[in-house]
Amino acid sequence: MAKAGLNYKAMALIELEDVSKLYGFGDATTLALDEVSLKIEKGEFIAVMGPSGCGKSTLMNIIGLLDRPTHGVYKLEDKPVSKLRPNKTAHLRRDTIGFVFQSLNLLPKMTVLDNVALPLTYKGMTLTKRLQLASNMLERVGMQSREYFFPSQLSGGQVQSAAIARALVNQPKLLIADEPTGNLDSAGSRLVMELMSEIHKLGNTIIFVTHNPELTRYATRVVYMHDGAIIQDEKTRLGQVAPTARRVMYTMPGLTEDDDLAGVSALMKALPSKNSPRTSRQKKGRKAPRLKNKKVSRSKT
Amino acid sequence: MKSLTRGHIKIAVTNLRSNRLRSLLTMLGVIIGVTSVISVVSIGQGIKHQIGDQINRLGKNVIIIRPLQLGAGQTGSALPLLSGFSVTSGLNDQDYKAVSSTTGVKMAVPLSLVAGATKGDNTSQTSVVVGTSDNFPSLVNQSLAEGVFFSSDENSLNVAVLGQNAANALFNENVPLGRSFTFRGQQFVVRGIFNQFTYTPLSNDINYNDAIFIPYDMAQGLTNNNSPIYEILAQSDSVHSVDQTSSQINQNLIKLHNGQPDFSVLKGYQDLSSANKILKLITRLISGVAAIAMLVGGVGIMNVMLVSVTERMQEIGIRKAVGATDRQILNQFMTEAAVLSLAGGLAGVILSLIINLVLRILTNLQPTINWQIIALSSAISIAVGIIFGSVPAIKASRKDPINALRNE
Repeated sequence: MAKAGLNYKAMALIELEDVSKLYGFGDATTLALDEVSLKIEKGEFIAVMGPSGCGKSTLMNIIGLLDRPTHGVYKLEDKPVSKLRPNKTAHLRRDTIGFVFQSLNLLPKMTVLDNVALPLTYKGMTLTKRLQLASNMLERVGMQSREYFFPSQLSGGQVQSAAIARALVNQPKLLIADEPTGNLDSAGSRLVMELMSEIHKLGNTIIFVTHNPELTRYATRVVYMHDGAIIQDEKTRLGQVAPTARRVMYTMPGLTEDDDLAGVSALMKALPSKNSPRTSRQKKGRKAPRLKNKKVSRSKT
Repeated sequence: MKSLTRGHIKIAVTNLRSNRLRSLLTMLGVIIGVTSVISVVSIGQGIKHQIGDQINRLGKNVIIIRPLQLGAGQTGSALPLLSGFSVTSGLNDQDYKAVSSTTGVKMAVPLSLVAGATKGDNTSQTSVVVGTSDNFPSLVNQSLAEGVFFSSDENSLNVAVLGQNAANALFNENVPLGRSFTFRGQQFVVRGIFNQFTYTPLSNDINYNDAIFIPYDMAQGLTNNNSPIYEILAQSDSVHSVDQTSSQINQNLIKLHNGQPDFSVLKGYQDLSSANKILKLITRLISGVAAIAMLVGGVGIMNVMLVSVTERMQEIGIRKAVGATDRQILNQFMTEAAVLSLAGGLAGVILSLIINLVLRILTNLQPTINWQIIALSSAISIAVGIIFGSVPAIKASRKDPINALRNE
């Protein structure tokens, strides 16, 4: 497999050492990330799983330089980046990282083509050149016929495809997708995942968050998170659902996002519990109701 | 970065268009400010031009003698002159004779007002009836459209020459040659119509287009030598001797008036400078009002931009996520405010052009808009946009990307 070859010469693209993220002050302090250490090599396709509020998004934001860790060291290509100025992080985001969010990815008043060309605009590229690059990228994701559409005229899967095109248009070293399939039906999810998998085959590094155990079959590595910490990290073979995820997926019908969430809860029970003295701490007691609330509000929407 | 700015402008225009009513209301202050400044300045310029034209037409060697009371208070309309309360003490036939016999005076023309109603076909109305002498057309450098002016032999005949508006008002036709009207019980025959006089609304002159001219001797006869002269026009031999001649006239008249200088002797260009003073004052006043309008407009822009920044947090988040720096976001919102304000300025320019046109059609004013004032007001409106857009733009640029994405 090509993956082994890639791994062989790759240095760590991303290295997190004891990264923590705290929100709020005093008594209201919440611990979103609890001394997380993670190494990501070039060419990996990582799925991050875990219940809502476990810190997945915070981890994505820190890796994507949208947020900075409270403690710990974050090295991107061996360079510490956690204490850079906003200007520098903006340039790093522009040149090395591509983002796909769960929803509201595209700016509604611009055409798909202009949206995809947006990162190039901030690079100061000329109009013709950036439109050409954007057009090429849209062709690659199979969206060329939709260039002059507005986001409101596209289906959910097409919006996400365009978002992926935008994320890739700068030739980033890392693609971060925070629940890219969260708002999509199964057909849309497949479209998006197939697309990401193709991009991965071309040598890109991808890290994505999902609630759907089924989707781990596209990944080469699955990271499970709970309460702000990584509790399991396993390599999987492409095309196969991760062993831990598989344990729960057939017990659930898995049709809606809520079912996915329920599946994740089941998954957490199947996993070895977080082996730290933290369980006895007050923090966990405070966190549990917050988690519950989030779930309730989610199922409402 | 040039193409980036162009992109910002494009986005700004799109946003402006997609929210028309809000944009219009926001721009209102700027529109009002720019429109009022341009209109007032252009009217002032126009009047200055018109007065200048008139003086050039009269010639620089023309001296105007007026009773002092008239010169002091009255502006514009001829009607106050007809009330007569301040006129009688002014100039009389003796003064006219003294002026015309002064050395250095080539010719002099009296303009006396005769009160009374004129009766044309079937309409009776109060008109401005001016008694003057045969030299009047040549002194004010005015030609007749139809007929001829009365000559020196015809000074006691019942003839009249009309200004164009007077002809229309009296007979409802443009060329009422040979028609007659009744004035103070006497029948007058129309024998000439003047071409349009250039008329300056803010100067002290009677609008000659509204006037009926009859021979001076006739006017004196009608009023028992009692008709007040509201103005004597004199022409000196040459342009160089104007000052000398006017002081000579001044001396002669003071002698006649027992040492009381209850009259004024003006040289043509003095008229211009007094009009200028008034115009400058008005312009300053309106500029102050316009400055306040711009200030209010600027605050409006700031307010709307703040709302816009809050509404578009998600957009700011996405832009930052794909690599926009703080400065680029700042520039985007600054550009948007400037475009909004400039659009208001341009709307103001267009509106003032329309006002200009309407004024030209409906009044005698001839406002002139020059490119300097347009450039200046555009520049000021851009500056207003940048100054008042900076607070919202800074707010947008300082926003943490993650908070912006979460829409907090």
